[in-house]
Amino acid sequence: MHELKATRDEKAPGAAAAAAKLGRAIVITSGKGGVGKTTTTANLGTALAQRGARVVLVDADIGLRNLDIVLGLESRVKHHLLDVLDETVSLDDALVPDKHSETLSLLPAAQAREKEEVDTEKMRALIQSLRERFDYVLIDCPAGIELGFKNAVAGADEAIVVCTPEVSAVRDVDRVVGLLGNRFKPQLIINRLRPQLVKKGKMLSVDDVNAILRLPLLGVIADEPEIIVTTNRGEPLALRKDAPTGAAYHAIAARVAGEDVPAPMPHLKETFLERLGSIFGGKRP
Amino acid sequence: MNGASQSHPQRYSEKDVTLLRGRRKGLEVALAGRELGQAFDELEARLGERPGFYRGTSAVATFGTTHASVPDLSRLRGILASAGIELRAVSGSVEVGEAARACELAFETPAGPSDEHELERRRALRPRRGVKLSDAARSLVADFAGARADIADRRRRGEASVPRTDPSIEPAPPDAALAGEFAPALHLVEAPPSTLYHAGTLRGGQALHYDGNVVLVGDVNPGAELIATGDVLVFGRLAGVAHAGAQGDERARVYALDLDATQLRIATFIAADGENRPARTNAARPEAALVRDGAIVVVAFDQLGALERGASLS
Amino acid sequence: MSGRRIVITSGKGGVGKTTTTANLGAALAKRGKRVILIDADIGLRNLDLVLGLEKRIVFDLVEVAEGRCQLRQALIKDKRFDSLSILPAAQTREKDAITEEQFSAIVARAAEQSDYVLIDCPAGIEAGFRNAIAGAAEAIVVTTPEVSAIRDADRVVGKLNDRGKPIRLIVNRLRSEMVRSGDMLSVDDVCEILAIELVGVVPDDEEIIDTTNRGEPVVLDETSRLRAIYDKIARRLEGEIVPFTSFENQGFFGRLIDAMKAG
Repeated sequence: MHELKATRDEKAPGAAAAAAKLGRAIVITSGKGGVGKTTTTANLGTALAQRGARVVLVDADIGLRNLDIVLGLESRVKHHLLDVLDETVSLDDALVPDKHSETLSLLPAAQAREKEEVDTEKMRALIQSLRERFDYVLIDCPAGIELGFKNAVAGADEAIVVCTPEVSAVRDVDRVVGLLGNRFKPQLIINRLRPQLVKKGKMLSVDDVNAILRLPLLGVIADEPEIIVTTNRGEPLALRKDAPTGAAYHAIAARVAGEDVPAPMPHLKETFLERLGSIFGGKRP
Repeated sequence: MNGASQSHPQRYSEKDVTLLRGRRKGLEVALAGRELGQAFDELEARLGERPGFYRGTSAVATFGTTHASVPDLSRLRGILASAGIELRAVSGSVEVGEAARACELAFETPAGPSDEHELERRRALRPRRGVKLSDAARSLVADFAGARADIADRRRRGEASVPRTDPSIEPAPPDAALAGEFAPALHLVEAPPSTLYHAGTLRGGQALHYDGNVVLVGDVNPGAELIATGDVLVFGRLAGVAHAGAQGDERARVYALDLDATQLRIATFIAADGENRPARTNAARPEAALVRDGAIVVVAFDQLGALERGASLS
Repeated sequence: MSGRRIVITSGKGGVGKTTTTANLGAALAKRGKRVILIDADIGLRNLDLVLGLEKRIVFDLVEVAEGRCQLRQALIKDKRFDSLSILPAAQTREKDAITEEQFSAIVARAAEQSDYVLIDCPAGIEAGFRNAIAGAAEAIVVTTPEVSAIRDADRVVGKLNDRGKPIRLIVNRLRSEMVRSGDMLSVDDVCEILAIELVGVVPDDEEIIDTTNRGEPVVLDETSRLRAIYDKIARRLEGEIVPFTSFENQGFFGRLIDAMKAG
């Protein structure tokens, strides 16, 4: 499927990777903390793996690791990213296979170490070798724009930015997009939208957010209490394909894979869907 | 020190100038030649900007040859009443007179061309009335006053926010043009300042500093900074901070298709929009910001010519 | 006597540090204290936005550090509270634009002119975090009752302990129904894990989103229950013993809860 897409549209995200027969390395970032980068990484990875792709999730948040918790794998973590970079342990020994999805693995971050201990060149090389073994390398980026962010971005060749419909989040994401520079053409996921609040005028709408960011929209995830519960329990919502949020992540996964998917958000209002529909298809708003 | 730093850029457009005017007695709502529905919307919006400001005054509505029906007059009366303004009388055509009588409004015969002329003449002679500042605005002015003095001071000491092309040229003190003795400031150098053309949006946290003019095709997002020693022209939305004339040229200007800056700076003047700005309409109009009478004013682009020809700003 | 220097930190991003700094600062100012808020998040500044003061920024933290202006010129007086000011961060710079020493010096100068200096710390535990805590003598750790947030808070508590500063805890965004149904950790659970003195429990409230978007601290809203809560936190900081009202009564595993620990 990758190869077909490559010949059809050379500029599509991932086309270059497909042409080189390498997996795609996508960093998931935002600048602002707490908008859902880790949850997105876990769910997108799960959805892609459920479609049969070979996926590895890399937790680049050294010292504040959380991807393992969200996947429910914290008790199975034996080695971590730094061990692999320092070559004290092989990649295979460090990779943790996911509990739920067969083709999904996790490369955890270290908890008792510091981001400054990561060598950027080694990180790049590691991501490159991961690309040789996996169809997708999703890198969970730490909050902020410091060294941790720079290292997480170093190995990637695509970026997804996650933003919540709040003024401070939009400003921070805008900053990050500026820092990502010309190398990346980031795509946007808007997280934690509450359609009722948008209607009441108490929350930014998708349009408000993208009026400033102006990025191709991959998807919109509505806020629901389920999300907190499942992250506490380590069961990504993407496992429930038929529930609204799970379906939303699967649609995002399909779009990432190059399919043209119409907005599948039945729990959002009709007019909302129409607006989204006009934004999808990779067109800039 | 008064007038040193204006906190709010005043927005002037043709419609602003003609819709609501002061007269010897009360106000005039000038509706001649206007599309009434739109004019009423605009009037409502304008009155909403300063609730209570006109409370207790009376107004006369002049329609010229424009037709007005009973519902029109009722609506107008209602809009004015909400702002505490009494619609005293209307003037216009015979039909308007009939509608007025049906609404129990006094009717005046329209002022003749000579009266209009007289009004214009008097308006031009009238001194600019002081702007009434809200508490928030007053504290803004105070904040900026100190900052402005400091920027001026830094400039005099030779620190520029933009690196100079020729370090051997000393920056001229503000009245160098008059003194004529000092080495000229950069903007007096023979070669005209260069202009940087940048296609692309400036994102939050990015800064573009240039010695010369800057033309940017794209947006300047909130959190971004555009600083130039010359003019700044944003062919897009200007939402961040723009500083034109960064080395002291008070003639520098900021132009934008959609002027929505967090803060505008020209030379040592700083201005920010008032806190109670009405919600923006979707149709943004090109505007220019410039220094006039010791303050930054924002003028609709198509009014710039009139302004330069000396039209009054009230 | 010099004012207290408190850093508001968390480790995890997005748990409410900035909102807490703004509202706690406003609550203290309302009680007549002279408060200076410092935004230490260089490059990702938000404290000014949350207070609606972004249009008034002329100078920032980095310019003060570089000596290009005085502290008092950079301080922005709040629109509503006379005794509240903020020192904004720089937006177009990075966190290495300032050293720990420079930041500490600025915090010290601010403390000379105020009763409280509250430092809004950036997310994470990198250089920005280290700078922010360098200037402070005390810390307030903010966390939400979620496993990932608590884990990060724990890491931060460890680092603060290394520096011997007194640490207090605010549990933010508590949702009692979720605690009751066992889907969210209780305040008790959080306190047990982190083992630091609790100084406030703030319930989840959707009004916060709108108020931060509009730049109006929620403590201004007479009808908001959060106003009383931030006021209580301010009082506890001042040394008053203010009991916690109980509005949750089931722990994560359904244990009986000491009714003191909520509110």
